[in-house]
Amino acid sequence: MAEAAVSVRPEKPPRNWWLWGTALAFLVLMTWWSARGIGFSINELVCNIGGGRRLLQESWPPDFSFLPRLFAPFLETVQIAIIGTVVGAILAIPISVLAARNLTLGMFVWFVDRNFMNILRTLPDLFWAMLFATAVGFGPIAGALALTVFTIAVVSKLYSESLEAIDMGLTEAIRAAGGSWWQMVQYGALPQSLSQYVSYVLYGFELNIRASMILGLVGAGGIGMILETQRSNFEYERVTMIILVVLVAVLVIEQVSAVIRRRLT
Amino acid sequence: MNPSAGNSATGIRFRKARVVYPNGTVGMKDLDLEIKPGEFVVIVGSSGAGKSTLLRAINGLNPISDGTIEVGGRSVPQKESAELRRLRARIGMIFQDFRLVKRLTVMSNVLVGRLAHVPGWRAMLNLWPAHDKEIAFRALERVGIADKAWIKAGQLSGGQQQRVGIARALAQEPSIILADEPVASLDPVTSRQVMDDLVRINRELGITTLVNLHFLDLAQEYGQRIVGLRNGELVYDGTPDTVTEADFQRIYGRAVTEDDLKLSGESHG
Repeated sequence: MAEAAVSVRPEKPPRNWWLWGTALAFLVLMTWWSARGIGFSINELVCNIGGGRRLLQESWPPDFSFLPRLFAPFLETVQIAIIGTVVGAILAIPISVLAARNLTLGMFVWFVDRNFMNILRTLPDLFWAMLFATAVGFGPIAGALALTVFTIAVVSKLYSESLEAIDMGLTEAIRAAGGSWWQMVQYGALPQSLSQYVSYVLYGFELNIRASMILGLVGAGGIGMILETQRSNFEYERVTMIILVVLVAVLVIEQVSAVIRRRLT
Repeated sequence: MNPSAGNSATGIRFRKARVVYPNGTVGMKDLDLEIKPGEFVVIVGSSGAGKSTLLRAINGLNPISDGTIEVGGRSVPQKESAELRRLRARIGMIFQDFRLVKRLTVMSNVLVGRLAHVPGWRAMLNLWPAHDKEIAFRALERVGIADKAWIKAGQLSGGQQQRVGIARALAQEPSIILADEPVASLDPVTSRQVMDDLVRINRELGITTLVNLHFLDLAQEYGQRIVGLRNGELVYDGTPDTVTEADFQRIYGRAVTEDDLKLSGESHG
């Protein structure tokens, strides 16, 4: 510690107050401008808070007698999510492989696939649900198709990035043994990234259960459709019950998938 | 390639072969070299001398910019093609870092050596013919680790993993084995075992074997023929008995030091 006493300690550089001040002013101005734009006022909020309280009062307690009638639609929601996840997860594999720079078949294929993925991701799941509802009619099939696309979008984005991080030495060893492109992918790239893939698919399933509530709003089947009917009939105690069921389902799935993911790594 | 050629050894011939990397580095300068069927050749040189470039040109992993390389009298295709895959199917390669799928079993890793020898749909569905599983098992027996067949590759020691690498190459029923610094990540005792395995396989099966080595004592002990490279050029070609201190200085461009010896810590000979 003796040397510390003689060493020259640098002065703490002064804080850049001007920069901090500008940033803060910018944030305040931006928020104020946005609030003006959407007609938001604290006064009105305080005056009307009673309305919100009334809604909450009407929504409580949850209507447990409604629970038995939720069983079938909830099952349908889970079924929609399962179909969407399984089909989407399988289709996501080739799309991810071709979007990974180290595995793809030439820059053209990569470019096309990458942009295809971007389009899938940019369009919201509600859009897909409406599109498929128009195509195959309102109901669970439209929901399952929408979730398939949604799963492809989520899984392929995450998985293609994992594939870009794999050890390419291994895939070279397969090429050196005379393996084809697909064999290099199947025996070299996919086994290395299997645990990430499973974890992304489980995450996709979680999102799909959540999304199935929203999809019901546009008539794509499942528990969301019941939610929409009860809401438009002002049956708020039933709405609370539905939200409670989905909440419990999401929590359970989250726990189960967390356990599976821990085992995998 | 003639399938009946099986394990029959194959010669290799470089004619004015030249490799220039995209960044302008010359990896191989007009190399003329002939390797006879069944030879055991050790290639020495400091890192960056072009040892890997030489090996990887033989199975087309590194394309050459000029000249020719012939394997068994046929020139090595310079583009990814079915012909190149058929050539690679008969050339086993062993790597410094083993290159195994650690989460898969030893058997799965060895079967990679059979990929190019079974119908595509079988490999795709992971339905391996009994004949090919038998070949994989025999390859594991030859390196003495058949008992580990169903263990995950990642659970083995470094020396055992390299033996799996050798077994994978053997499962190809190769006529040539290319070993790129096979003992660089192993301790002296294990290095010796792996080198012994390679020499024994060369002797028993007559497979033409090229081994890149950084360490001089290993090269001198195991090489039947030593090829020295420096900056991509051939600077020595002869037997281990005739190689002199001066030759090594020419190969390394400096005096030989303790760092160039792997077995120095051992009490032998």
